[in-house]
Amino acid sequence: MNRLAIIGGLVVAALAVAVYRAKLGAEDTQARIEDLKTQVADEEKAIAGLRADEAVLTRPERIGGIAQQQLGLAPANPNQYTAAEALKQRLGEERTRLPAPGQPPATLAPSPDPVTPQR
Amino acid sequence: MRPFTAPYEDVWGPRRARIIAGVLALIFAVIVGRSAHVAFNGPDRSALPVAKAEIARRGDIIDRKGELLATTVQGKSLAVDPSAIWDSRDVVAGIRSVFPDLGQDALTALMADKKRQFAWVRRELTDEQVKALKETGVEGLLFVDEPQRVYPNGKLAGHFLGYTSIDGDGLEGAERVYNDQLKKGGGPLQLTLDASVQFVVEEELQAAYADFDMKGAVGIVVDVSTGAVRAVASWPAADPRRRGDESDAAKTNRALNSRMELGSIYKPLTVAAALESGVLKPTDMFDTSKPVRIGAVTVRDPHPLPHPASVSVTDILAYSSNVGAADIAQRMGPVAQKTFLAKVGLLGGQPAVGPQWASPLLPPQWDATAMATIAYGHGLSVSPMAFVMTYLPFANGGEYLLPSFVEPVDPAKVARKRVMSAQTAAMVLDMMRVTVLEGSGKNAEARGYEVAGKTGTAEKPGPNGYDPDRNITSFAAVFPASRPQYVVLVVLDEAQPRTGAQRTASFTAATIAGKVIARAASLLDVRPVLEAMATRAPTSGADAVAKVGAQ
Repeated sequence: MNRLAIIGGLVVAALAVAVYRAKLGAEDTQARIEDLKTQVADEEKAIAGLRADEAVLTRPERIGGIAQQQLGLAPANPNQYTAAEALKQRLGEERTRLPAPGQPPATLAPSPDPVTPQR
Repeated sequence: MRPFTAPYEDVWGPRRARIIAGVLALIFAVIVGRSAHVAFNGPDRSALPVAKAEIARRGDIIDRKGELLATTVQGKSLAVDPSAIWDSRDVVAGIRSVFPDLGQDALTALMADKKRQFAWVRRELTDEQVKALKETGVEGLLFVDEPQRVYPNGKLAGHFLGYTSIDGDGLEGAERVYNDQLKKGGGPLQLTLDASVQFVVEEELQAAYADFDMKGAVGIVVDVSTGAVRAVASWPAADPRRRGDESDAAKTNRALNSRMELGSIYKPLTVAAALESGVLKPTDMFDTSKPVRIGAVTVRDPHPLPHPASVSVTDILAYSSNVGAADIAQRMGPVAQKTFLAKVGLLGGQPAVGPQWASPLLPPQWDATAMATIAYGHGLSVSPMAFVMTYLPFANGGEYLLPSFVEPVDPAKVARKRVMSAQTAAMVLDMMRVTVLEGSGKNAEARGYEVAGKTGTAEKPGPNGYDPDRNITSFAAVFPASRPQYVVLVVLDEAQPRTGAQRTASFTAATIAGKVIARAASLLDVRPVLEAMATRAPTSGADAVAKVGAQ
């Protein structure tokens, strides 16, 4: 009987220790989760800040000026569009102007076509 | 005395021992129980202030393509702990070296209140201000982390976006209208606005100021198939970062909150109403050579038409004849006119949710006089937002739509109301195309985009009647005419060309509308009409009538 009580007590004690350790482990995990949540929140704040910076840097009034001055780009002009049917003819014209194999490249004459893409 | 060999028999001993043991066991059990309770039930971490702060982040506002228009970033604000400050003179001097606008007396009084442990000094500091304050090295400064609402595009769409209070509550514009949704956080609020198109409209309105001395301006672009508003601009622009601390001119959102008599851009509505009521045929001819008296008003044409004794309906629009428009209105009468204008939303009625616009100012009596003047856009004041929607039926086959400001806009779910037949819509649209090709709207033409539209010049009412020196000029347009996709409205308030040219809409609003369309079309994925570029068929009013008459 005494032996049974002692074994039972030891088992209970062992279980209590195990539960306590599990609880401690859960708390550690919870603390880690909270840390990670804080990190995520910090990262989200940083991302929000970076997105705001990006939006400032890419706002139309800034990027339009840079694209125009430094890259020579401009909004699409109606003259730059052409009908799909006209492409075959345009491609044919371009091919005839390409140099033959082994020949030096010739200077391309400007296209008389009013729908020539412009910069 | 009892003998040693006969020990005292303590009959209470075992019982006392049991009681003491029991008490000790109880205490032990309580301690163990409490320890276990503490061990197994830690503090509720969800109630921590950090977690609450994360929930409070206000949602972003983005445009239809995802461009960021408003967001919330982590910033710093300056506070002090007066109870911890020994020498307030140094602190005041340090703070004022960065913020000279803060009063010395007020700051000194703040620091002297030693009962306080916290007091705000300046909210929403910039990085430079934080750095400068730290470099002063003074004691007692508290840099508090708190969310700040920022608008990366500055003034872009400032009127429509509105602004928040310093504590993050929406006070104006979309920030106020969608405050509940934004405060919940979560996904961003996606507007139908297109930041690039909005920029083009605002830049053209700003550039207009270089050409015209003017008090204000409006520019609106709307998708005709869904009613999605792609740009809604009011000039002078408002800066959301100033939270309403602006001049009255800049505070006013003219696009939504102003009411104006918009002039002859009503004439296409008059023609459509008459065609629909069956009192007008596109082939009818009118005599506009003499003023006509209707009710209490004598209607005149300030600019006589080329052949005033015999003008077509198309000519009435193309050359903007008040006499002709009043004649047409007289044919249908005030009831039919009023009924039609109510159908296209000009007499009030707007959704209960979403951005609101000014309700109209109606004439006290819709009699013959009112009917005649409203036919050419006088006597009925409406907001530009309400008016621009009246041109959608011309562009989409006759259906009126309410404007949409928030994505997603599902074309299949948009509420549509037929207000005119597709044939009437096509006829009036063709007449407006002639107006741009040959009439008062020539300056609005944008090559390749087949602009159809109508000019409007209205004298502004004053205390002594209409003032000939102050006017509202407007241009309402549909493009491209052969496959309409967008409606544009430009309104200029008291625009006076600096070159001394006429201050009619032909030379003011029409020019701006043409520039807006030329620049915005490609941003809106509108392909130019190549046939129109290759051959621009000379079209007369009679041709247009013949063409639509055959439809």
